[in-house]
Amino acid sequence: MDTKKKHEIEVALANEARAISSGKLKEDSPLDTSEEFRLFCEACRRGDLKVCQEMLQANIQINARDIYDYTPLILASLCGHYEVIQLLLENGALCERDTFQGERALYNALNDRIRNLLLSYDYAKSTNPLQPLAAHITSLLTRPVPKTDDITITAYDDQTFHLHKFLLAARSPYFAKKLAAAPNTASWKLPSNIPADSLGVALQYLYFSEVSLQSVTRGLSDEEELVVLNGIDKIGRQLEMDRLFEDITEISDRRLLRQKRAEELDRGREQLEDWFKNNVLRNKVVIDTEKVDSIQWDRDNTIFADVLLRADDEDDEDDEFSPGPSESSTPRSRNTLGPLNGIPVGPVKSRSPSRHRKPRKSTVYGVHKAMLLRSEYFLTMFNSPFREAQSTPYLQIIKLDCTPQVLETILTFIYTERSDFGLDIAIDVLFAADQLFIEKLKQRAALIISSLGNGTTSTVEAENPRGETDQEDAIDAYEIIRAGWDTRVQRLEEFGARYIAYRLERYIDEPEFAELVQESAKRVTARQETDTVEVVDDIRWYLSERFRLRFEDTHFDEMMDENKIHDRDPLAAAVKELGLSDSGAEAPPLQSVPDLETQLGAGAVRTLDGEIAGDEFAQDAINYQILLGKIDALLERLNLDA
Amino acid sequence: MIAGRGRQRIRPPRRGLHGDELNFESTWKIIEDAFGEIHTKNASQLSYEELYRHAYRIVLKKRGEELYRHVHEFERNWLSTEVRISIQQLLSPNLLANMQHIGGTTTNERRVSGEKFLKGLKQAWGDHQVCMSMLADVLMYMDRVYCQDHRRPSIYAATMILFRNEILNSTVSHTDQRLVLGLLNHVILEQIQMERHGDVVDKHLIKSCVHMLDGLHADDMESDDQRLYNVSFEQEYLKTSRDFYQAEAEMLLRESDAGAYCRHARRRIHEEADRCRSTLLESTMPRIQKVVETELIQNRIHELVGMDSGVRFMIDNDRLDELNLVYELNARVDDQKAEVTRAIQKRLVEMGTELNNDAIAASQVSAPTSAPTAEGGEKTRAPPQEKGQTQQTAAAIKWVEDVLVLKDKFDRIWKQSFLSDNLLQTAITRSFADFINSPNFPRSSEYISLFIDENMKKGIKGKSEMEIDMVLEKAIILLRYVQDKDLFERYYKKHLCRRLLMNKSISNEVEKQMISKMKIELGNNFTMKLEAMFKDMTISEELTVGFKRHIEGLGDRDPKRIELSINVLTSMTWPMETIGTGNEDEQSKRPKCNFPLAVENIKQSFEKYYSEKHSGRQLTWLPNMGTADIKAVFPKVQQKDGSFKERRHELNVSTYGMVILLLFNDLAAEQHLTFEEIQANTNIPHHDLVRNLQSLAVAPKTRILVKEPMSKDVKATDKFYFNEGFKGNFVKIKVGVVSSGNKVESDRERRETEKKNDDSRNFCIEAAVVRIMKQRKELAHQKLISETISQLTAQFKPEVNMIKKRIESLIEREYLERIDGATVDSYRYLA
Repeated sequence: MDTKKKHEIEVALANEARAISSGKLKEDSPLDTSEEFRLFCEACRRGDLKVCQEMLQANIQINARDIYDYTPLILASLCGHYEVIQLLLENGALCERDTFQGERALYNALNDRIRNLLLSYDYAKSTNPLQPLAAHITSLLTRPVPKTDDITITAYDDQTFHLHKFLLAARSPYFAKKLAAAPNTASWKLPSNIPADSLGVALQYLYFSEVSLQSVTRGLSDEEELVVLNGIDKIGRQLEMDRLFEDITEISDRRLLRQKRAEELDRGREQLEDWFKNNVLRNKVVIDTEKVDSIQWDRDNTIFADVLLRADDEDDEDDEFSPGPSESSTPRSRNTLGPLNGIPVGPVKSRSPSRHRKPRKSTVYGVHKAMLLRSEYFLTMFNSPFREAQSTPYLQIIKLDCTPQVLETILTFIYTERSDFGLDIAIDVLFAADQLFIEKLKQRAALIISSLGNGTTSTVEAENPRGETDQEDAIDAYEIIRAGWDTRVQRLEEFGARYIAYRLERYIDEPEFAELVQESAKRVTARQETDTVEVVDDIRWYLSERFRLRFEDTHFDEMMDENKIHDRDPLAAAVKELGLSDSGAEAPPLQSVPDLETQLGAGAVRTLDGEIAGDEFAQDAINYQILLGKIDALLERLNLDA
Repeated sequence: MIAGRGRQRIRPPRRGLHGDELNFESTWKIIEDAFGEIHTKNASQLSYEELYRHAYRIVLKKRGEELYRHVHEFERNWLSTEVRISIQQLLSPNLLANMQHIGGTTTNERRVSGEKFLKGLKQAWGDHQVCMSMLADVLMYMDRVYCQDHRRPSIYAATMILFRNEILNSTVSHTDQRLVLGLLNHVILEQIQMERHGDVVDKHLIKSCVHMLDGLHADDMESDDQRLYNVSFEQEYLKTSRDFYQAEAEMLLRESDAGAYCRHARRRIHEEADRCRSTLLESTMPRIQKVVETELIQNRIHELVGMDSGVRFMIDNDRLDELNLVYELNARVDDQKAEVTRAIQKRLVEMGTELNNDAIAASQVSAPTSAPTAEGGEKTRAPPQEKGQTQQTAAAIKWVEDVLVLKDKFDRIWKQSFLSDNLLQTAITRSFADFINSPNFPRSSEYISLFIDENMKKGIKGKSEMEIDMVLEKAIILLRYVQDKDLFERYYKKHLCRRLLMNKSISNEVEKQMISKMKIELGNNFTMKLEAMFKDMTISEELTVGFKRHIEGLGDRDPKRIELSINVLTSMTWPMETIGTGNEDEQSKRPKCNFPLAVENIKQSFEKYYSEKHSGRQLTWLPNMGTADIKAVFPKVQQKDGSFKERRHELNVSTYGMVILLLFNDLAAEQHLTFEEIQANTNIPHHDLVRNLQSLAVAPKTRILVKEPMSKDVKATDKFYFNEGFKGNFVKIKVGVVSSGNKVESDRERRETEKKNDDSRNFCIEAAVVRIMKQRKELAHQKLISETISQLTAQFKPEVNMIKKRIESLIEREYLERIDGATVDSYRYLA
């Protein structure tokens, strides 16, 4: 890999500074001295995923720098928090080679794993987070089936473009006004003084395509080129897309180009989002479920919808279980009643005020097939010969198997690529996204669960080695793991295992835990691979992580490594090892051995702790052994060979 | 921190999605009913959302395995009952019977029933595909989740396999154990056979059935080489095609001529290609083409080329199109085009040899036929020898022209029929070289030179530059074929010399053009001497002018002064034998011609002038090569028309003629000179004198002298008078000297030329050997020979014997010595 010499970097930096001060280039990392940003940086330093996620949802500037010129990414990279780095990168943190901040993040990376992660997100390879949305909209220009266009624009030379009213209205104030006045316009003629090429460029731009003037004017003579350029200028003014001309003029600088592109995408997304909120969401219909079939929307509606999506409120039965403001319970979780600490999560509105009212309500959204196609489910549906794809006088109503709140989240994602929703619906969104094949939303849901799901322990897990659980949990770890399996999201399984590992004392004796282990074992045998139980392996690993952090300064780590090797020969061997390393540190006395069997039965860690060792380290060591022993015992009981 | 937000808990997934147990049977019933609707084409009222949701839930509840099995079973049922029966109904008895090759049905009946069967199968397959893609849409979640996790083939692929098992691999009926697949292959093959016989069949129908076979695999792994099309159909197809074309080729060879055969074969090849495009798959194209090519061409090309109406016939009758066909067919199976090449070469050599023989015959026949007349009649105008030569010359030119015609013909064939194929060009070139250099026909060099000579003197008159260029180009082309370039050079020099000295050449420009063409073709060495000849001519012109000025400068303005135009020739570059000086001995032996005083004066004056300019050079006068213009005044004598007029003529005579005529200047009108007197006075060699007197006194148009007795031959005692009554129609009269043009050599001359040529070759070989040895010092015999040959090929093809002799001679002269004791004969160079 080629690395720039110091003097070369200095020259590049000086040039960059000059470009920034002259206003040509926007600074990648502006200084941010706000308190929120300080907290954000602190969280990155400590590896606090939860705070990071919350901050990101609050739209913090992810690429800003603090007064010491550190960006969150550099901090996380320096302190070696892999998950945090991943989160930052997924949310658009920049790490570009040959920039000051980018090279710093790389240079400071704690280990190779992190360095490689950073490199894989180098701008040259990664894309703008909005690119999938943009690419989809661009593809609408050329997608022949299923038919989604509803307006035809004809250039004077009879070249026609099949377009989508809602996009035109969202992106061009001119069209917004025109179409508001006459929503059922089906065609529009271009003034004859504008060449088709110019119109093409404007439309591509409007459809989020990366337009390059060069490709348009290639092969044209100077005069023709001038005509096209004039046309673009004119049409830009007519459609009130004032930045059109400026944005498509050629820029050679890679960074400047990227910035412009990012700005343009952001702006476009804003427009689309505004339009979505003001039209789709505002025009949703809440109606009694019995009456939902009576809804009749014309094709020519003011929001140009061509299909209706319906989501029903949850059944009454469900409502009984759904969390009320003061009491909450999940049907199959342990009894974890108690005061809940407030979890500050991103902006979630109370979307279903009618939830508890009877009769049951349905919510119907008028939406656009063109956008729904982002989901493979809808793509297949609209391409199939089934009822949903047939043309009917009134718009089809398609029921979705989720709550209105979830549907709205999905729609928001589809239209705007935004995915900030609360933990409360995260699992539902996860399943819905899985059902509808919206992979990215699924990942987002998983991310939200795994970064916010640690309950009120907003501090790093490592600081709570004893699994103290005086607070209420926000999640049901079993449910999370199962959801991870069902939707094939590895991240959730790992998260759940880790979650349990850090609180193993509470879970280890529950019958549900045994059930989970058995399920996991079954999954494995179904695949006929090795004999290990995945969940148990994961838990063991996280358990060792949890305790190793405490043992680092003692000789216990060596001891534990050996213990790991002897995993198969349960407890007895482990305890022997303990005895052998007696001289090393304050180890538990040997007489604890005979007691262990009974203690296993009693399952009380604290009893053991209180009786035998007064020292914290010794306590941890013994706790660790006991937990491992319990796992082995459990496996034995379940007749699983692991 | 952000305050005021409601706390959140993760909620469990809703009941409807996750909680309650799912009733598999009832859900499956819904799906099954819907599938039934799909198969009966009632799908438009089904809700995708609903079906998908049901399937989704089943999979989510870990019942994917069951669902998969149920769907599979459902399809198997459907295919093995509904579809199979409908297919079996299509099998009409005559279709089945026909498969066992029992006659009794007409082609038309067979076609109709076959088409019905294909249509039904196509329909079933199409329906199946449509339904299965709908099923796959509905079961998308199962495909993605269950099938991927459990490594099952997607439901679509699985049901395609079902179609193969349940329909194609099912038996025709309970009693008939044949498979539908076999029947399908048979029907398709039969339809194709019908098409080959000129019937019209439904190509689209067949194509869609073929696509079906292509989409299915013989095994369940869906490997690419196991497509039913390839495994089952294609092999059958190739086999039947092979049989068909084998029989057809035999029949055609028996019944039609080569041209028709070629056309037919080509049509078949195109037909098969078209068939692959329109009816079958393009992937079959190379294979079926191979079959057709093997059967129709590869195995038959030899016979085809050798047919009575084969290549030879086509060449003779200029069947360019058919030749082209043969060529194309041969090129298909053989990159070398060996058969065509062989036939072409054979015919070309044959034709060339014919030309050679014609030329030999012409030159030989003319001699005996003219010989008797010459002996018999005293009055024959030209000596028999000369007449024979004229005829031979004509034959030579005819030969060249014929060869050129042949060349044109084959060029045309090559361009139009053989698409300018390089291989064939070399083959043709080789064949031309073969017969032109044939050992039975040693005169090609001479003939070509003669041809050029002829053109230079007469042929190019009135032709445009383009045409001239073409003639020259042709000559060069022939020259390319000639191996003994040195021999050609010798002849060319001789002929060129005549043209230059006698001013026979029409255009100096063209001559030079020719030289430069040869230079390009044969190299600098070859034309050096020829160019030197031209240079001599130019220098001579300058000399003449310079001398004239010199004379004028003397101030002696003698009105009767003779103007001298002179050509000074370098003895080495000009062919002396042509000029007539022969060798040194002969020259010194021969008495010098006595010039008249006036002439002698000017001759001496020029010699003086020349030696002033170039001291040390010796001039030898060659009066036999020169000409002179004389103004002659004939006295008033009554003419036949009765006029008494003094007539002036300008006579152009040879130098000798001038010398003779000047003798009569001093004589009175009635006086005469005998032959002997003239000879004594002039000292002109006997042979030359006879000829000059013949042209002055015997040739009717230029009878300036009167001979007594009047006869053709000139005897020593003949008397000559000045013909005062001479009458010419023109002011200028050219008195030609008999036999001054370039003619074919007589055999004697020829032997002489060859001998001289061999002598000069000997020098060349010796020079080459010495050059090589000087460089190598020591060399094995064989190597020396081969190197010598390779060095000399540009000029001629030396015979090994000749080289051996030269080596011997060099050893004798102690340029080389044999190395004693060397394992192979070797030589050492002696410095």
